[in-house]
Amino acid sequence: MKKAAIAALAVMAMCGTASADVIKVGVVGPFSGPFALQGKNFKAGIDAYIALHGNKIGDDTVEIVYRDIPTADPAQSKALGQELIVKEKVQYLAGFYFTPDAMAVTPILKQGNVPMVIMNAATSAIMKTSPLVVRTSFTTWQTSTPIAKVASDAGVKKIISVVSDYGPGVDAENAFKKAFEEAGGQIVEAIRMPLSTNDFSPIMQRIKDSGAEGVFAFLPSGPTTLGFVKAFNDNGLKAAGTKFYAPGDLTQESDLPALGDAALGIQTTFHYAVSHDSPENKAFVEAATKAIGNEAELSFPSVGAFDGMHVIYKMIEATGGEQDAQKAVDAVKGLAWTSPRGPVSIDPESRHITQNIYLREVAKGSDGKYVNKEVQTFEKQGDPGLAAAK
Amino acid sequence: MQTVFSIAVDALAYGMVLFVISIGLSVTMGLMRVVNLAHGGFAMIGGYIASYVARDLALGYGLALIAAVVFTILIAIPIERLLYRRIYGQPELTQVLMTIGITFCIIGIANFVMGPTLKTIPLAPSLQGSADLGFRTIPVHRLFAIACGLAVALGLWYAIEKTNFGIKLRASVDNAAMAAALGVRTEIVYAVSFAAAVGLAAFGGVVGSEFLPVEPYYALRYMVTFLVVVSVGGAGSIPGALAACLLLGAIDTTGRYLMPEFGEFFFYLAVIAIICVFPRGLAGRAK
Amino acid sequence: MTEKTNSTSTASAETSRTRLRAGFIRRDLYGVAAIVIVAAAGYVLFPDNLALLTRIIAIALLVLSLDLVTGYCGVATLGQAALFGSGAYAAGILSAHYGINDPLLMTLGGVFAGAVAGLVCGIVMLRAHGLPQLVLSIALVYLFHEFANKASSWTGGSDGLSGIVLDPLFGLYEFDLFGHTAYFFGVVLLLIVFALLRIVVRSPFGMLCRGIKEDPVRIRALGASPHKALIKIYIISGAVAGTGGALSAISTQVVALDALSFTQSAEALVMLVLGGTGSLFGALVGTVIFMLFEDFVSAANPFHWLTMVGALLIAVVLFAPKGIFGTVQDLLSARRNRTGETRP
Repeated sequence: MKKAAIAALAVMAMCGTASADVIKVGVVGPFSGPFALQGKNFKAGIDAYIALHGNKIGDDTVEIVYRDIPTADPAQSKALGQELIVKEKVQYLAGFYFTPDAMAVTPILKQGNVPMVIMNAATSAIMKTSPLVVRTSFTTWQTSTPIAKVASDAGVKKIISVVSDYGPGVDAENAFKKAFEEAGGQIVEAIRMPLSTNDFSPIMQRIKDSGAEGVFAFLPSGPTTLGFVKAFNDNGLKAAGTKFYAPGDLTQESDLPALGDAALGIQTTFHYAVSHDSPENKAFVEAATKAIGNEAELSFPSVGAFDGMHVIYKMIEATGGEQDAQKAVDAVKGLAWTSPRGPVSIDPESRHITQNIYLREVAKGSDGKYVNKEVQTFEKQGDPGLAAAK
Repeated sequence: MQTVFSIAVDALAYGMVLFVISIGLSVTMGLMRVVNLAHGGFAMIGGYIASYVARDLALGYGLALIAAVVFTILIAIPIERLLYRRIYGQPELTQVLMTIGITFCIIGIANFVMGPTLKTIPLAPSLQGSADLGFRTIPVHRLFAIACGLAVALGLWYAIEKTNFGIKLRASVDNAAMAAALGVRTEIVYAVSFAAAVGLAAFGGVVGSEFLPVEPYYALRYMVTFLVVVSVGGAGSIPGALAACLLLGAIDTTGRYLMPEFGEFFFYLAVIAIICVFPRGLAGRAK
Repeated sequence: MTEKTNSTSTASAETSRTRLRAGFIRRDLYGVAAIVIVAAAGYVLFPDNLALLTRIIAIALLVLSLDLVTGYCGVATLGQAALFGSGAYAAGILSAHYGINDPLLMTLGGVFAGAVAGLVCGIVMLRAHGLPQLVLSIALVYLFHEFANKASSWTGGSDGLSGIVLDPLFGLYEFDLFGHTAYFFGVVLLLIVFALLRIVVRSPFGMLCRGIKEDPVRIRALGASPHKALIKIYIISGAVAGTGGALSAISTQVVALDALSFTQSAEALVMLVLGGTGSLFGALVGTVIFMLFEDFVSAANPFHWLTMVGALLIAVVLFAPKGIFGTVQDLLSARRNRTGETRP
């Protein structure tokens, strides 16, 4: 310890005031409360990136400052964002699990000269609120559109849409509806259920009564998905051959052990599966597992955070550690790299990530663990939501 | 017609699960006059213990259920001695502050020790699968939950109304000083009732885990539901709580079937209507 | 205190009443001075953290409004955020949909909407007492929440209401990144509200409200209507909460559903009890201590701070059962009594 301190002092003395700066990155996410798991995944992704690439860029050292915001709370988000910029003097803001939290901070980016890298918040419209925002996660439109094609390719004509009644749920419903009707299918009914629903039996009865051949569902990842999937099985819908389609939030890897056999065969489309087969992903999963401590807790926000760090590192390289938000953002427009999830790039116009969307099916691996097995790839998907919002 | 039956069955099952989970709270709030917001916390502890015993130790569902009740009570005893004893008879708001504090601590510790993922309790083989009711199938587990609800209701009613202990409990609640003067050891009565309430919470947490999955935020997520059910029934009344659970279960289930997008409106408007008609709860006694 | 006044003879009652009033006014001035000093200290000590301080002021207004109904009138509620959120959304909608960007007009809109929401909630809430009343308040806040979620074309639903733009205050002071303007605006609002509330709680009307808490039957026997008084106090409380909501909307320029949530209501109640009910200072002290503590521990350990907050609440119940302010006040007056300097 002492030696390290002396070494550090020596290093500092040698470098003098030249250019060895500490570059702070403020990360805002749900690290406690009902979404603590997702915040933990943010941290795992960030730690994994630092473990693989070091915390030095040239002479500069990257330092992460975490701030907790347990649920969507824009007032607190704004206060934290401001504190990070003004007091902690961060050069980059990152994280943001919920849309309103991100929206609250975008108005101060310009004045603070700070770019924001969104690692999760999935509403298309955020990108329009400031030119200094870059997103490395996904949008609900992006992940919900391809599943419509999957359904219509499977010959399903009539589908009932069941979503949680809040922003992302409505996005998912609209995205699916648009794509499915364009493909010639029919939405026989669209149900929005309150977020707090615990007992899904009545919903299952509605699905039965609707006469649909398949169901499209969106629920936020977490406890309610368990009840929904179980009710789907318990009420005999699975046995009756009703098809089950959803974006991948519903079968995130950390929920799979709890869902168990009930989830087998569910088809989802998403941007990332922990089981993705590539050397990049192998290295990532190894490092992220080490960071999070338990492989069963690893889920999709980690990869958004990992790629977010990649973008931030590129920004720091491009600006040489100087604080210049516009230059930093311009530098990553069009940036392309191979992420653990596959080839990705930042769309120069929308600053949102262009990526492959995979069709996956829940399967039991040889070791008895449940995985999202990738069966089909939709290459280079942009965000259809931004166009739809206009 | 078939649909009506079907909804009725779902409503009954949901109502009974609500009853099993919340009845412990009705005991603490109605009989012991403690607004115990940590009730959900104890239910969650029960769920975690059951999950550990049934899944990690693979000792079976029955044993898990018993272990959950026993160990949750063991955990609760020191908490009762050190903390709850200080708030008996205090103003309600003080009790709220204390029990919310306890809930926060339970959540924090559960998150730290058990991790933030969902935990499941594997069912016994005999409780898995579905039973055919003629007009529809229903998961066997739901029938089990209904049976548990009835058993708990009968048992509690008997214990409070018919046994010697029940008399002492009611006496201590109505007038602790007088009961003590008559030789009732109120401290012990309170401790035993508290243990019973916690045991019921743990039992409910395990039986209800198919509806309300166990995770660290469980303790706060369902607190409102428990509070509403108990108050609508009239705290401390077993028949009242049962009626409230069945009624609210029916309203909730029907609302979610008929117009899911307004399910929440339906439920809370009904709550307001019931309380306006029965300002002391369905079976509330005048103070 | 009132009892003591009553028990003295009529001759000295007159003088003691004037002394009493002088004492009250002196304490009001102390209160205003204390707020100004704390606000100035906050500005000097945390110049980089004004957004947090502004947020504390907004929440302090919510807690004050809660104190009016819970602390002074004994109405148990876990739904006070319904009034706060109404104010926030009203202010936000004025700017985002009607282009009314003047902060003063937006605040007035918030005050008005809060008062209307207070009237509605008051009418419903007074149908029951005790625990059922608490549940009524929960049902109300969920209905408000669900309504805002449904009316997403007005409120932005769960994505939040954004697009709030602000004109400079008095055409002079911009609302900027550092939050100076918002902070001073908040401090002034708080001072005005505090002074008005001191007058309200001390007025005969305020005394009537306290009486209702103690014994509604006797109040009715005296010929006053508890129901009417409670509705009035609910409207006042709504206006105060609405001011807080408007301040929150103005300072953050976003309003989201959490402003109307049960969680926000419960947190406000926790802060009030922490500080001490039935005293405006208690409400302020509770808010400041709770929020600063939360900010401190959640920055120190963003992952496991909830346990620390829980421990704080338990410790307060164990060691300061009347709330922090109430207990400190008791200690002080006990000491004063010992030293013989009794007050009227």
